[in-house]
Amino acid sequence: MSPGLSGYIVRRVLWAIPVLFLISIIVFFMLRLAPGDPVDAILGSRYQEDQARVLKEKYGYDKPVYVQYVKYLQNLAHGDLGVSTRHRDFTASEVIWPKVWVSTQVGLMAILITFGLGIPVGIYAAMARGTFLDPLTIGFWLALDAIPVYVLATLASWFFAVKLDLVNLSYRGVWSPNMIVPIMVMALPAVAGVARFMRASVIGVLGEDYIRTARAKGLRERTVVITHITRNALLPMVTVVGLTLPGIAFGSIFIETSFGIPGIARESLAAVLAPDYDVILALVLFGSALFVFANVVIDVIYGVIDPRVRVGANRGQ
Amino acid sequence: MGSEPGALAATEIVVFEDVQAPARFRTVRQVLKKKVAIIALAYLLLFYAGGLLAPVIAPYGLNDQQLSVEKRLQSPSTDHIFGTDRLGRDLFTRVLYSARTTIIFTVVITLSGGLFLGLGLGLLAGYRGGWIDTAIMRTGEVLSGMPTLLLMLAITAAFRARINGWSFWLEDHTFLGEDSKTLVKFLIISMATVPFAWLGSCRIVRSQVLAIREESYVQAAESMGASTGRILFKHILPGVMPLFLVGLTAGMAGIAGAEVALSYLGLGIDEPAASFGNLIGDVNGTRLFNDYPYLLIVGAGPVILFFFSWNLLGDALVDVFDRRQNQRG
Amino acid sequence: MSNRMLTLMMGFVAFLILAVGVVFVIALAGGGGDDDNGGTPASSDKTPGASGSSGKICDGKSLIVPGDDPSSVLDPIQVGDVSTSEYVVEIFGGLVTLDPDLKVQPDIAKEWSVSNGGKTYTFKLRDNVVFQNGQRVTADDFKYSIERAADPTNASPTVLAYLGNVVGVRERFVNKAASVSGVKVIDENTVQIDLVEPSDFFLSELTYPVAFVVDKKTIEKNPRNWTQNPNGTGPFRLKEFKPAERIVLARNDRYHLGAPKLAAVVFELAGGSILTRYENDEIHIGYFPATQLDSVKAGTSPLSKDYREVPEMATFYFTLNPQKAPFDDPKVRQAFAMSIDRDTINNVLLYNAYRVADGFLPPEMPGYSEAVHSYKYDPAKAKQLLQESKYAGKLPRITLTYSGTGAAPGDLLVAIQKGWQDSLGVEIQLEAIDSSAVLREQRKGGFQMHSDGWAADYPDPEDFLGKLFASDSQLNYIKYKNDAVDALLTQARTEQDRTKRYSLYADAEQKILDDAVVVPTFWPVNHLLVKSCVQGLPNTSMTIPKYRYVDIKN
Repeated sequence: MSPGLSGYIVRRVLWAIPVLFLISIIVFFMLRLAPGDPVDAILGSRYQEDQARVLKEKYGYDKPVYVQYVKYLQNLAHGDLGVSTRHRDFTASEVIWPKVWVSTQVGLMAILITFGLGIPVGIYAAMARGTFLDPLTIGFWLALDAIPVYVLATLASWFFAVKLDLVNLSYRGVWSPNMIVPIMVMALPAVAGVARFMRASVIGVLGEDYIRTARAKGLRERTVVITHITRNALLPMVTVVGLTLPGIAFGSIFIETSFGIPGIARESLAAVLAPDYDVILALVLFGSALFVFANVVIDVIYGVIDPRVRVGANRGQ
Repeated sequence: MGSEPGALAATEIVVFEDVQAPARFRTVRQVLKKKVAIIALAYLLLFYAGGLLAPVIAPYGLNDQQLSVEKRLQSPSTDHIFGTDRLGRDLFTRVLYSARTTIIFTVVITLSGGLFLGLGLGLLAGYRGGWIDTAIMRTGEVLSGMPTLLLMLAITAAFRARINGWSFWLEDHTFLGEDSKTLVKFLIISMATVPFAWLGSCRIVRSQVLAIREESYVQAAESMGASTGRILFKHILPGVMPLFLVGLTAGMAGIAGAEVALSYLGLGIDEPAASFGNLIGDVNGTRLFNDYPYLLIVGAGPVILFFFSWNLLGDALVDVFDRRQNQRG
Repeated sequence: MSNRMLTLMMGFVAFLILAVGVVFVIALAGGGGDDDNGGTPASSDKTPGASGSSGKICDGKSLIVPGDDPSSVLDPIQVGDVSTSEYVVEIFGGLVTLDPDLKVQPDIAKEWSVSNGGKTYTFKLRDNVVFQNGQRVTADDFKYSIERAADPTNASPTVLAYLGNVVGVRERFVNKAASVSGVKVIDENTVQIDLVEPSDFFLSELTYPVAFVVDKKTIEKNPRNWTQNPNGTGPFRLKEFKPAERIVLARNDRYHLGAPKLAAVVFELAGGSILTRYENDEIHIGYFPATQLDSVKAGTSPLSKDYREVPEMATFYFTLNPQKAPFDDPKVRQAFAMSIDRDTINNVLLYNAYRVADGFLPPEMPGYSEAVHSYKYDPAKAKQLLQESKYAGKLPRITLTYSGTGAAPGDLLVAIQKGWQDSLGVEIQLEAIDSSAVLREQRKGGFQMHSDGWAADYPDPEDFLGKLFASDSQLNYIKYKNDAVDALLTQARTEQDRTKRYSLYADAEQKILDDAVVVPTFWPVNHLLVKSCVQGLPNTSMTIPKYRYVDIKN
C-alpha cells in the first residue's frame, strides 16, 4: 500500500467524525421536536401528571434538550447507547445487536445469491447480445423484479406453504429450512438490477480500444472475456456492491414483516413509530458509521483495481 | 435504513436529459424498431390514458359501496370486470384511480427537481474534482446516513395536521379539485425523499466520469483546448449515458414503487383515495389468495406490468444507445 | 495482480454460494422431521378438516401459540400493556386473581375482611404458598412489593392507576414520604391495606400485575437482570426468553391452586402468516385481526370450523367534541349518532362477529345494564335533526381523526364515512394521527371528531365512565361536563352497596349517551382459531392467568 493511499484512508476516516457528530445532533433534536412522545406511548390510558413527571425524570426528558444531548454524548463516550423505552428497561444495545446479527446473516445469504447469480447472468446476456437469449434472460429477471416484495412474499408463501405444503412459516432461526422462502424472495428480485448493471457495464467495455486490440492480437475469446472484459466491467460494480453491503445489516422491512423474522428492520420501523429515542439514535449512528466505512472501502478498492482513479481522487484533495 | 438490494434501484433516482436533439429522434426511431419496446410502450400508453381519464371512463364512482353479502367480493363478471372488494366497490374503478395516483406521483417527483441532483452533481463532482467533489460527496454521506423512513415519518407527522388545511385551500382556489389532497401528500412525501435519493446515482455518474476523463480521447480533447462544456457534452455525457439511463428507467419504476410501498405500509395515500399500495394491502394474505386469487391479481397485476414495462423500455433504450456508441467509436 | 485477484474474488463468491447451498441441503435433510409437522397432505387446502387435530402437534403437552414481543422487561410493576401482562400473569401472582368469569377469587390471600366503612382491607394469607424457588411467601413480601411499586426510582407506569387509592402510595411516588404508610404487616400471614376513600372495585384493581408479589432476595441479588430469571408465585415459570423470538413457560408443579395440566406453553414471537402456520399444524391457537375474517369465514375455508369469538372487554366509539363546531350543537351530534348503520356493517363486513354497541359499557362488564340504549339507526330522523340544527346548510368541514401511523383507516371507518355521506350528505375527511402523538394532541383540547376505543383495565364501570366522562378526569379530553353526570359518578365511586352503585352508573351512562358526545359503535371480539385437541381454553374478555385451565387431549 502506497503512502498516498494510507494518507487518503486516514483523511477519509477523520472525515467520518464530524459527519457522525452532525448526524447525531440533527437526529437527536429532530426526535425531540417530532410530535411523538415516548412517555405518552408508555402511559397511554394510564396518563396522570404525577405519573408522567416521574417517568420523564427517569429518562431525563425533563431537562432542556441540549443538556440531554450532552448527557447522551457522555454516555456514548463510555459505550452506553442508552435505554429502550419501547422494550422498557432493556438497554439499546440489548435490543439492537441480536437483531442486527439476525438481519446480517439473512442479508449476507441473500446478497451472495443475488450477486452470484446476477454477475454471470449479466455477462451472459451481454455476450449473447443480438440473439433472442439476451432479452429473454434479462426479461425473465426483470419480470421477477417488477413484482413488489410484499406481493412476492405472499405468492411464495402461498405456493410453498399452502399449495405444495413443503415448508413451514414458523421462525426457527436463520439457518432453518423455513428460511429458504424468505431468502429467495429477498435475493431473486434483486438479481435483475445486478444483471442489468453488469450487462451494461460489459457492453460498455466491449467497445473499448483495448478489447479490440486484445482480440486483434488473437487472444482466445475466453481469455478476452475473463481477463479483459469482466475485469474492467466489474469496476463500476464495486460501487453497487459497496453501497449494498452496509444495507444488509439493516435488513428488509417487507421481508422481515411478511415472514416475521426477528431482524432489525422490523425493530427500526417499530422504534420509529413508538418512538424509541435511544434505539433510533443508536441505529442511525451505527448505520451512518457503517455507511461511511463502506464508502472508504469502496474508494480504496477502486484504488487497488484501477490506480487511475486514485490519482484522480487524490488530485481532488 | 431498510435498504436492500431491491431498494437500491429505488434510491437511484436519475433523470434523462436531452443531449442532442437529432440523436433523440434517432433514438426514438431505433427504440420503436424493437417489438418488446413497442409492447411496453403500448401498455404504458394504456396505463397513462386509463389513469388520466379515470373520472371519465370509470364505470362506477371511486367510493361507490355496495354493503351486502352478495355484492361484496364478487369474482370478475360483466358488471364488474375486475370484481368487487370487501366493501362492494368496483375494483376496475379503483385500479383506474390508483393508476391516476401513480401518475400524479411520478410527475410530481420528476418536476420537484430532485432528480437532476444525481446527474448534475455527479458530473460536477467527477469532472471538477477538488473541494467541490469533496463537499458534494461528504454532504451526500451525511444525508444518506440519515434514516429516510424516520424522516419521512417525522415530516409527515409534523405536517399531518396541516395536510387538510393546505388541500382545502388548493381545492377552493385552484383547478385541482379532488386531487388536491393527494398532491399535498405527494409533496410532503417527496420533500422527505428527494434529499436522500440522489447519492446513489451521483456516485455512479461520478465514478464513470472519473474513468472516462482519463481516456485518451478525452485527454486529447483537453490538451487541444476544448471547452469544458464541449468535453462534458461531447465526450463525457455519452459515456455516462448508458448507465445513467439504466438508472433513469429503473428510477421510474422505483419512484412509482416507493409510493406503492409507502401506501402499503400506510404512510402514503390513505383510503378512500385509491392507491395500488392500499389495494394490495387490502387483499394481501396467503389464505385470502387461496380463496380469492383474483383480488391480488387485479390489484397488483396492473402496477406490476407498469413496473415491468418501464424496465423493458429502459433496457431497449440502453441497447440502442450502446449500439450507436459502438458504431461511432 | 488484478487477474489473480479477480479470479480469487469470483472464486470466493462461488465458494460462498456453494457453502450456503450445502448448508441448506444439510439443514433440509436434518430438519426434515421437523418439517413434516406441516405434513398434512398436499391437498390440505381442499380437504375440509385436514387442519384438525390429526397432526403430531396434538401429541405431548406443550401448547404452541403466537405471541407478541413484550414491551417491557417481565417485571410486574413495569408492565402496562396487554401483550406483556399475558406473560406476567402466568409467572407471578398477587393477593387475589380473576377467574374466567372475571369474578375476584382468592389467590395468595385465602380470605379477607373489609372494615372502617370500606376503607380498610385485611387479608389472611395461605400458609402454603411458595415462590418458584421454594421460599415461602409472607406478609412482608407484600409490604416490600407495594413499596417497591411506589418507589419513584423504579418509575412504574401503572402504580398510580391501580394503587393510587392506597394510603401513602401517591406520597411515596412523588417523594413526599419514605414508605407507604397504608400497607401494614399485622403478622406473618396478615396484611392490612388502608384506602384513601372507600372503593368497591379495589379488589379488582389488585388483580393487576402492579400489585403482584415479588421476592426481595431475588431482586437484590441481581437488580439489573433478575427479570431474566424471575421468581414468582404463578402457575408457570419462565424457562426461556429470547427477545423477539420465543418465550417458553414451564409448569410450576408447586402452584398452590393446583398445578397446570400443560407441561409448557411456547409463545412464538416471530414467524410468518399465522393463518398458514395454523393450517400447517405449526401452532395450536391462531389469533387474527378482523380484516382476515374473509380468509376464515368465507367460502370453503377449512379454518371456519375451528373459529371462535372471544369477547373483548372493550368498546369502539366516536367522540364528537362539544367544544368544537359543529358538535357544540346537540342536534348535530345526535344526527351523526343516528346515521351509522351498525347492523349492516357488522353483518356484511364482520360476519356478525362483533356486537352492535347498544350502550357504552360492554356486556361482560359487571354492572352492564340492558336498559341503557344508544341511538338507533334512523337516517330520516338524522337528516331532519341536522336541518333543525343551527348548522343547517352551512356545516363547516369535518375531519375525523383516527390514531395510527402505518394504519389504514380500515373498512369500518370507510364504510361509516360513506354512510354519513349517504344519509346526511356530509363528506367527512379522514385523517390519521400518529399513535404516539394522539395523547399530546388530545391534551391540547381534543379533536373535532375522533375514532377511539377503550379497553378495560379492571372490570368495573368506574374504569369506563369515571375515567372518560367525569369533568375532573385527566382523560376527559373533550372537556365534557354535565353536572347531573358528575353527581352520579361521584356518588357511585364511593358507594358501598354494589347494586346501587351499578344503577347509578347505568343512569350516568344513559345521560352520557343521550348527550351524544360519544357514539359507541361496536363491542369488539378477538378472533381465534383453536385446534380441537386444545381443551379448556377460557373464553375470557380480559388478560387473566388462563393456561392453567388448558389441556391438550386427542
